[in-house]
Amino acid sequence: MERIYVFKRFERFWHWAQALLIIGMMITGFEVHGSYSLLGFERAVDWHATMAWALITLWVFAIFWHFTTGEWRQYIPTTDKMVAMVRYYLTGIFTDAPHPFRQTTLRKHNPLQRIAYLFVKLVINPLLWISGLLYLFYASWAGWGLGWLQLEWVALAHTAGAFLMLIFFIVHVYLATAGHTPTAHIKAMVTGWEEVEGESEQQHAATGA
Amino acid sequence: MIKLLSGMVLGIVLTGVLAWTQAGAMMFNEYESPFDVEETAARIQANMQALESNGWKLSGIRDPGRAVAASGGNVLPVLLVEACSTDYSKPLLKDDETRILSILMPCTVTVYKKQDGKTYIGTMNAGLMGQLFGPKVAGIMSKVAADQAKFVTFDPKKPAPPLIKVKPGGGGAGGNDIGGC
Amino acid sequence: MNTLIHSGWRAACLALCLVAAPVLAEEAAPPAAQKSASAPQEVVAKTGSSTADHGKFEELQREFASGPEVTAACLECHTEAAKQIHTTKHWTWEYQNPVTGQKLGKKNVINNFCTAVSSNQGFCSACHIGYGWKDDNFDFAAEDAVDCLVCHDTTGKYKKIPGLAGHPTYKVMEWPPKSGKFIDPPDLQKVAQNVGPTSRRTCGTCHFYGGGGNAVKHGDLDSSLNQPMRYLDVHMDAKGPNFTCSTCHVSDAHEVSGSRYSPTAADTEGARLPGQRKPGSAPTCRGCHGDAPHPTDAKLNDHTDKLACQTCHIPEFARGPLHTKMSWDWSTAGRLDENGQRIKVKNSAGRVIYDSNKGDFTYDRYAIPDYLWFNGNIEYTLFGDPVDPDEVLEINRFLGGPDDSGSRIWPVKTFTGKQPIDAGLGTLAVAHTAGKDDAAYWGNYDWEKSLTVGMASVGAEYSGELGFVSTTMRWPITHMVAPKDDALRCKDCHRDNGRLAGIDGIYMPGRDRSVLLDTGGGLLALLALAGVLVHGGGRIVAHRLRRK
Repeated sequence: MERIYVFKRFERFWHWAQALLIIGMMITGFEVHGSYSLLGFERAVDWHATMAWALITLWVFAIFWHFTTGEWRQYIPTTDKMVAMVRYYLTGIFTDAPHPFRQTTLRKHNPLQRIAYLFVKLVINPLLWISGLLYLFYASWAGWGLGWLQLEWVALAHTAGAFLMLIFFIVHVYLATAGHTPTAHIKAMVTGWEEVEGESEQQHAATGA
Repeated sequence: MIKLLSGMVLGIVLTGVLAWTQAGAMMFNEYESPFDVEETAARIQANMQALESNGWKLSGIRDPGRAVAASGGNVLPVLLVEACSTDYSKPLLKDDETRILSILMPCTVTVYKKQDGKTYIGTMNAGLMGQLFGPKVAGIMSKVAADQAKFVTFDPKKPAPPLIKVKPGGGGAGGNDIGGC
Repeated sequence: MNTLIHSGWRAACLALCLVAAPVLAEEAAPPAAQKSASAPQEVVAKTGSSTADHGKFEELQREFASGPEVTAACLECHTEAAKQIHTTKHWTWEYQNPVTGQKLGKKNVINNFCTAVSSNQGFCSACHIGYGWKDDNFDFAAEDAVDCLVCHDTTGKYKKIPGLAGHPTYKVMEWPPKSGKFIDPPDLQKVAQNVGPTSRRTCGTCHFYGGGGNAVKHGDLDSSLNQPMRYLDVHMDAKGPNFTCSTCHVSDAHEVSGSRYSPTAADTEGARLPGQRKPGSAPTCRGCHGDAPHPTDAKLNDHTDKLACQTCHIPEFARGPLHTKMSWDWSTAGRLDENGQRIKVKNSAGRVIYDSNKGDFTYDRYAIPDYLWFNGNIEYTLFGDPVDPDEVLEINRFLGGPDDSGSRIWPVKTFTGKQPIDAGLGTLAVAHTAGKDDAAYWGNYDWEKSLTVGMASVGAEYSGELGFVSTTMRWPITHMVAPKDDALRCKDCHRDNGRLAGIDGIYMPGRDRSVLLDTGGGLLALLALAGVLVHGGGRIVAHRLRRK
């Protein structure tokens, strides 16, 4: 076993802060949507808007960080080992087969992660952000030349984005347990250090506690 | 073993949560009334007077909304219809153990309108309350509960009786401005 | 000054309310016209801020035998007043709607309360701003027929009695008839010497009693607004801003701004400073509060493109102690007791729910409004318009809709009724109800005679076929503005079956959702959850098997 430092301090902060905000926004958002009653509509709206601004601020920093550090390259999609990853999740993970992907600081996401995170960043987030900001600035549409826009379309787009995010969230949380041990990925996201299997040790590596 | 224990703990917690969330609803009964607030209150008063044989006397009618209005606020109409029966109050007031239950006197039935525009009636679940205080109180309160059920049973064929604007103090009010019950 | 005079009254009122009030709300003051001589003594108020003391005017140092004599004296100084009045709706009871072209006004409209003025002028004109309008021969050009006192009285002693064609009584008179109560004629000299600005009480003399009694018609106007507490109306609060009607309904040359026939549904001109106000400028909320009235919550301001302020800020109407009438069924009128005498049936609170003269009534207090799109245009069903007796007839239709930028969602009182029609002609009937003749329905209970005379008064011949039609009439709710804490909360509308459940054409978060999207999205999320649970379960099972 070899330990490598994959997630830097800012990246970890970004991840967990974002996680909290997204969970909070899902809870409040679906309440505003009328799916259930928890905090009360008024408070849910307030918190949802406040958390939206916090998340946007966080993202401004994150985007800056991604570009200045070149980390954005981590999300360039690749087909290399993708089939192997799919096969691992379908069968290998049950039979203790070795994890087909070897993490390095330059390639910290496996090809499925790359494509999933890219989808979040290029589809789900923009969908939520653009529809969300439009929602927030409903009164300014006419001034922006968007008088033709219907609140219903914006609301439906925002809801669709929320469902996509919810689905991503469920799968993402589960796959966080799919490291070489169930807690390995989570530990790495907390400490920054990932334990990576060396070539020679692969045969003996254990999955599961 | 640990599983067994944790299962038990979980069971206790769940029961507690259930009791906590349901207890409030169990303490009171709510009924929908087909009449408006005033007519409902008047019909309850008529029902109370019809049970004079069980000692019931009207002891007052209150509109707590007026105090809210005086302080500058609005609430939907509500009337508190009060009655007292010495048949039931006397044994409770006699005994030191149960004198504290005088806090439940007079017997109040509340009539109120909700946002849906409908009229509702609220009563205390006297039967359940009684069971918390031993067999003697349970016996008295079960009778109160039976009478209460009659208070809120209406005969729509009867014409609307006039609302009786009794001052609190019915049932033996003295000359000192303090009501009897 | 007024404050001093009424302080005793107020103290009494307040004391009454502050005690946990074990007695029920008494009906507020009975209709002005019905006030008996035993009404509490009111001290005559001098208008302290005025530069003129009418008590010192020579023209008023005399006895007056009638209202018109007082008017003649007024006109000696106020030379243009009567001419100004003559042009107003208060005088003509006529209004031509510039949008629909319909000829409206009390003279022409048939409502579902007392129904029609025609043939009943002698009774209805108790609320005409003039003297002597008892039939069609009334001279609308007569200057001394203008009634100055009904609006400018400050003594509270000047009352016009129904049946006297707009005059007060000039001799001691039993009122209501056969009640055993008597009212004194007003001291016209004293009243004339104490004229002053209009007040809630003077406007309310008529506007609080529309529809035949206190609180009956509007729902947001009744005598509880004579001295309202804050909870009832934040602006008119007698111990607070103490607005009179004219604080908002600014008048110019006796033309009072604001109209029930063509209200301003969406004021987009923003707040207007005194110099920016045009004569006749609508008395709207936004005229003072502007377009962004919620300084700390921008989201609330976002609502002003769809909602009238009244929708949230008048959460219920008839919030005073009085009940407003909600329905009136004329079809049951005329039932008499075994001696052929008029019947009155009262409900638990002592309000009349059946009267042989009028039929059945229902009432409500803290009534929850209906809501509808409204752009300020109202279309009436007038005499002669076709009526289908099997359909509910809308006496007036509030126009507007979600796609009309000039429309707002408004709270309204919907008054339902059932009223006579001439089934042969297929139109609303004009009934002759009030009067001492043998055709007046009240007292004779004969629709045949009543409708023959009533219809003739509008130039029609009664076909002899009596019918009844169910009707609705809408009244915009705009008075009785609640303190802001009592405004509707988000959740009152942003929910299933909320206040605005019936409003279509807009998307409201919390109320509206796409069933397809919610079901599909929810299903996919559940599938994802099931997928990971099965996958995770599989891993655990596989792990255990291997350990064995």
